Amino acid sequence: MKKIIMKFGGTSVGTGENIRQVADIVTQYSKEYRISVVVSALAGVTNKLLEVACQAKNGDEKLVKNVTDELLQKHREAVVSAITGKPLQKEVNQIIEEIVGELEKVLTGICYVGELTPKSKDYVVSFGERLSAPIVWGAIRDHKLETQCFTGKEAGIVTDSNFGDADPLMNFTMHLVRERLGPLLEKGVTPVVTGFIAADQNGIVTTVGRGGSDYTATILGVALEVDEVWIWTDVDGIMTTDPKLVSTAKLLPQLSYQEAAEMAIFGAKAMHPRALGPVSKENIPVRIRNAFHPENPGTLITKEPVADAKQAVKAVAMIKDVAMLNVNGAAMVGAPGSYAKVFDVLGKNNINVMMISTAVSEANISMIIKRNILSRAISNLEIALLERGGLVSEVTAEDDVAVIAVMGAYMKGTLGIASKIFATVAKKGINIRMIAQGSSELNISFVVKEKDAIEIVKAIHEEFNLDKT
Amino acid sequence: MRIILVGYGIVGKGVTTILARRHLEKIASYGFNPKVVAIADIDGAVINTRGFSPEKLEAFKQKGYPISADTEFGHQGMTALEVIENVEAEVVVEVTPVNIKTAEPALSHITKAFKTGKHVVTTNKGPLALAMPALTELAEYNNVFLRFSGTVGGGTPMLEFAKRCLAGDRILTIKGILNGTTNYILSEMGQNRISFQEALVNAQKLGYAEREPSMDVDGFDTACKIVILSNWIMGKKVTLKDVDITGIRGVTLEMLQDAAKRSSTIKLIGTVDNNEVSVRPLEISWTNPLCVSGVLNAVTFQTEYAADQTLIGRGAGGIETASAVLRDLLDIRHKLASKLLS
Repeated sequence: MKKIIMKFGGTSVGTGENIRQVADIVTQYSKEYRISVVVSALAGVTNKLLEVACQAKNGDEKLVKNVTDELLQKHREAVVSAITGKPLQKEVNQIIEEIVGELEKVLTGICYVGELTPKSKDYVVSFGERLSAPIVWGAIRDHKLETQCFTGKEAGIVTDSNFGDADPLMNFTMHLVRERLGPLLEKGVTPVVTGFIAADQNGIVTTVGRGGSDYTATILGVALEVDEVWIWTDVDGIMTTDPKLVSTAKLLPQLSYQEAAEMAIFGAKAMHPRALGPVSKENIPVRIRNAFHPENPGTLITKEPVADAKQAVKAVAMIKDVAMLNVNGAAMVGAPGSYAKVFDVLGKNNINVMMISTAVSEANISMIIKRNILSRAISNLEIALLERGGLVSEVTAEDDVAVIAVMGAYMKGTLGIASKIFATVAKKGINIRMIAQGSSELNISFVVKEKDAIEIVKAIHEEFNLDKT
Repeated sequence: MRIILVGYGIVGKGVTTILARRHLEKIASYGFNPKVVAIADIDGAVINTRGFSPEKLEAFKQKGYPISADTEFGHQGMTALEVIENVEAEVVVEVTPVNIKTAEPALSHITKAFKTGKHVVTTNKGPLALAMPALTELAEYNNVFLRFSGTVGGGTPMLEFAKRCLAGDRILTIKGILNGTTNYILSEMGQNRISFQEALVNAQKLGYAEREPSMDVDGFDTACKIVILSNWIMGKKVTLKDVDITGIRGVTLEMLQDAAKRSSTIKLIGTVDNNEVSVRPLEISWTNPLCVSGVLNAVTFQTEYAADQTLIGRGAGGIETASAVLRDLLDIRHKLASKLLS
């Protein structure tokens, strides 16, 4: 029997009814596969926990009580509609009450100490998944499947102690997970594991941060040497563009790991490159599927897509809320180390550069950064580098721009892609402010005025026949 | 460099004038691009995170009180503390009125700026006179700069002269005429043979003296400045209560005429030396370089190697004091740049 990991995201476990649906899916596929389930927190719970943790720091004890009551209520309601058997309902409710009781103690502790460290924040946030997993476990048991519930820590996921953004100690994790979950899978038991949370080598709770529960799923996938990892979400898969912008956006049936990582700029509807790391190394395919439309095949992410999925341009995205920063200075020309100074100043001020472009004339660097940190970037560059006869003579910016990214792994070596893209833009009479393409050729990014961006996304989508695949 | 201006009186307006004037020249000559991102006054604030244009700064000044009524950028009722806490900037320029009883609200403004990681330029003597050792420690602890050259000598760079130009030398004593109002009154009394009261009324008519003249004539203003000189130049950890203060109400026309017979006159002199920190009327010779008349200020630094150095200048005025703020801003920019590039 093939082994798969099924990860269910926040909206697919959003309500009790949805959790029933999750249990149905698991039950249905358990006839064909040995399944391990990874679950996120109920939709909205993680944010709520983060919020209350921050407010607890200011000593608001009453709010703590309100929030824990609210969470208890929410999860109890989910139990009632997710699980039919009364004794089972009672059993799960008891577990939930105990966990919420513990959460209340933790938050009250934070109230008294008035301090929220990354370590205690991880602990508070871990309650989201700790509360959702028992309900999913109960719902699966309701279907008479043998199942067992684990936290990431109990399952054997061991990370470094980088709280809030921990990385697994992969070999140690593999060793423990195989020891703990392996034999159960062999016996036909379905493990339900909390996503997002793990523990360091001392057993202190950590969270894996960027990549979230998807990351847990791929870590477990590698540890258990599964055949596929399925990410169940609330969309059909990765699309050719944002369907909210372009109504003709189509589902992409197949992508390579590299392409999928590029498409992380689609945000929450795609996978974080970090989560793809473990599986791409071991060559384990990932499927993104819609929990609300399980009949749809979704997007399959593999090392090498099949031949007919090798078209050059696969997707086009627009990135908003960015600004273009231009650093000008004739003194930078032919001066080794001058760019380093510019980026050093930005780095020291914790400013992430998303895109860079500079001509071989060297007198100007253009960068794209997040719009909300633009004024900090300008101010610090001016303070550090603007000097009579200095490196930089002027720092300018445009904060009404957007980035358009055209992506596809097989753009590499395909002639005429760039000319087609830019001809499309020119036909619209729109000026391009900045262009960048790395030599990996996975992605051509360019910058236009924000007001023109949607029109261009539509035009490129059409020009490359992305609406017809 | 992003600047929050707190206080929009004569000095505050002077600061916006100076920052707006010859803006391009500042960039070309000094690499200094000041951007006022907020102005907080007593009843509200104006905020523009991109920085107000020189034209807009001028328009605020023309339109007058209250600036927070501006339809585009105004935030009525927003306090200076809220502005300092919530608006991103490198420097807070604190130019609210002086209060030598509690130093508020300036003291709170300055500590709030420190706690939120902002450098401070102030022309306000109150917080420094009452809590200078505390403030310099707090600035250092928070890794920010506190600059205040406008507090002593107005536009005349008395503090920098002593600190920079006399670096390495040892300053043994500081003596100075540090208050223009009292110097005007004493000069008038001596030259026109009139009483203290008459001279005070004249000074008030000309706008040199306040209607409530105590701060000047009782020596408190001079004392504040002498506290700042003691701390900054001489490294003495003193505050206003450590200064032995006598004002000029006791100086009579007779005393002045008596002194004139000895080719001398009486001036309100602030003194720092090994033994004392004081402010009192003292008789000095006409030939002493310190002996300036009218509203002028003068200070003499007696040094170990370079002997006596005397600096004379107008010790007050909105635009003069604002020029000291500009110097401080340039100094902070310079220090920040070397920090960012190290």
